[in-house]
Amino acid sequence: MSGVLAILEKELLTYFRSPIAYFVLAVFFVGTGYFFTYNVFLTGDATMNETFLNMGILLIIVLPMVTMRLFAAEYSARTMELLSALPLRPRHIVLGKYLGAALILLLLTAGTTINLVPLYLFGKPETTTILSGYIGFFALGMACLAIGQLFSALTQNQIVAALATICVLLGFWFVGYLQGFQHSHELRSLFRHLSFSLHYANFVQGLVRTESLAFFAAVSAIALTINASYLDWRR
Amino acid sequence: MIALESVSKRYGTKTAVDDVSFTVERGEIVGFLGPNGAGKTTTMRMIAGVTAATSGRVTVVGCDMATENAQAARKIGYAPEHPPLYDALDVSAYLRFVAKAKGVPRASIASDVDRAVSACHLESVFRKEVYKLSKGYRQRLGLAQALVGKPDVLLLDEPTAGLDPGQIQETREVIRSFGKEHAVLLSTHILPEVTMICARVAIIDHGRLLAIDSPAGLQRASEQTDCVALVVAAPAAGLRDVLLSIDGVGGVHLDETLEGGRAIRATCQVGAREGIEAAIARAVAGRFELCRLERQHPTLENVFLQYVQRRPS
Repeated sequence: MSGVLAILEKELLTYFRSPIAYFVLAVFFVGTGYFFTYNVFLTGDATMNETFLNMGILLIIVLPMVTMRLFAAEYSARTMELLSALPLRPRHIVLGKYLGAALILLLLTAGTTINLVPLYLFGKPETTTILSGYIGFFALGMACLAIGQLFSALTQNQIVAALATICVLLGFWFVGYLQGFQHSHELRSLFRHLSFSLHYANFVQGLVRTESLAFFAAVSAIALTINASYLDWRR
Repeated sequence: MIALESVSKRYGTKTAVDDVSFTVERGEIVGFLGPNGAGKTTTMRMIAGVTAATSGRVTVVGCDMATENAQAARKIGYAPEHPPLYDALDVSAYLRFVAKAKGVPRASIASDVDRAVSACHLESVFRKEVYKLSKGYRQRLGLAQALVGKPDVLLLDEPTAGLDPGQIQETREVIRSFGKEHAVLLSTHILPEVTMICARVAIIDHGRLLAIDSPAGLQRASEQTDCVALVVAAPAAGLRDVLLSIDGVGGVHLDETLEGGRAIRATCQVGAREGIEAAIARAVAGRFELCRLERQHPTLENVFLQYVQRRPS
């Protein structure tokens, strides 16, 4: 466990001693602020539903910028050699990095709560729906981080890692729309189950469904397991 | 402390290390010599647990690196050729990270880091960000991270590359003092360095271990094909035949361009026969004007080149 904590601490130090974390936070907060203003002040509805959906797609674009460097930068700086020689198993490295990125996600999530101030000041929003939306947002983010971290481990090039992650995440986001083109019930069901946006929409509407939580947890677990296995295989 | 038994490493069809076996004991510094691409770094990476052997067995402090590499890693300090540094961290944060990852108890992290900093003379840059360090300091920081955690085994891949003469001297002292109680495997291209600090030398080329012995032992073994060089005044017709007729002379190379053609240098390949220099002097003295005669003892460089050039490239 001390190895995981050492990696976690190193990751946080690295994030905040380089401009990338500040850039990601700034882009996300400005984007979220814009969508919130547009959705709430122009429509007059004291709800976060639309804003949550916008935050989801914004997250898919922004999080690869957090994850792209996780392993690709280690390869290009040859520091992976150090990590491999330390008494750490691949799963410790993967978990330490994942938790570090999760703390950035937590910061992103916490920062958006500033939008709740005018919502509660000028309206009567449903607290449980907002809470459910935040749970969904965090679960979605954790799955995106795991996928992004996996792609970062597969290449030395951070840009390639980011672009590949965005493509895959957009695929998971929009795959649900393919349901309408399918006659086969099995395929429709498969696309529905794989869709990030449909699972996330449940949370946004106030439904904390075990199935959706399990889906995001399973995606994260599978991506992290492949990530650790890949590092082991590289040895 | 380090034991390799018939270790091989293959990448696809390419064999990087082929059936290498040797040991390094506690209190011993072993130099690892070989041309670029010989398999030195791959061998070191296998011992460090960075990469796994395709076949054979690597054991470090009793731990099999195939199955117990994480336990063994606590006892290994590995300084790769390119120092593995995080530019965004400062020297202090970097070394503390290494100490924590190596499982150094929280209470002794500060003293352990201080010891490594002091051994590598990094006090003046302790609070400096890594990206601001000069090449020499980066190299020393790479060595310092290997010393953190008081490892039993030290693997150093060209630790003095990029250092100025003063720093090289200091680094050699660190390695020498460390080698008194620990096992050190040192890869380098600087042959005098090996002669100065290594008890034994391993020569590797094309992935195969060609020789392992003390520097003096390798030189002695090489004297089987030692040389005697002599200079005689020109003209010296028939010198080659005279030299080749001497028992123990295997081959003769003549250089007739010495001193503008006024002198001839003959280099004789000789065996281990006692008194071969006297026999050559006697044979030559009556017929030619002998100016100089000397036995050329091979340097470690000659020995190294001899081993490496024996194999087809």
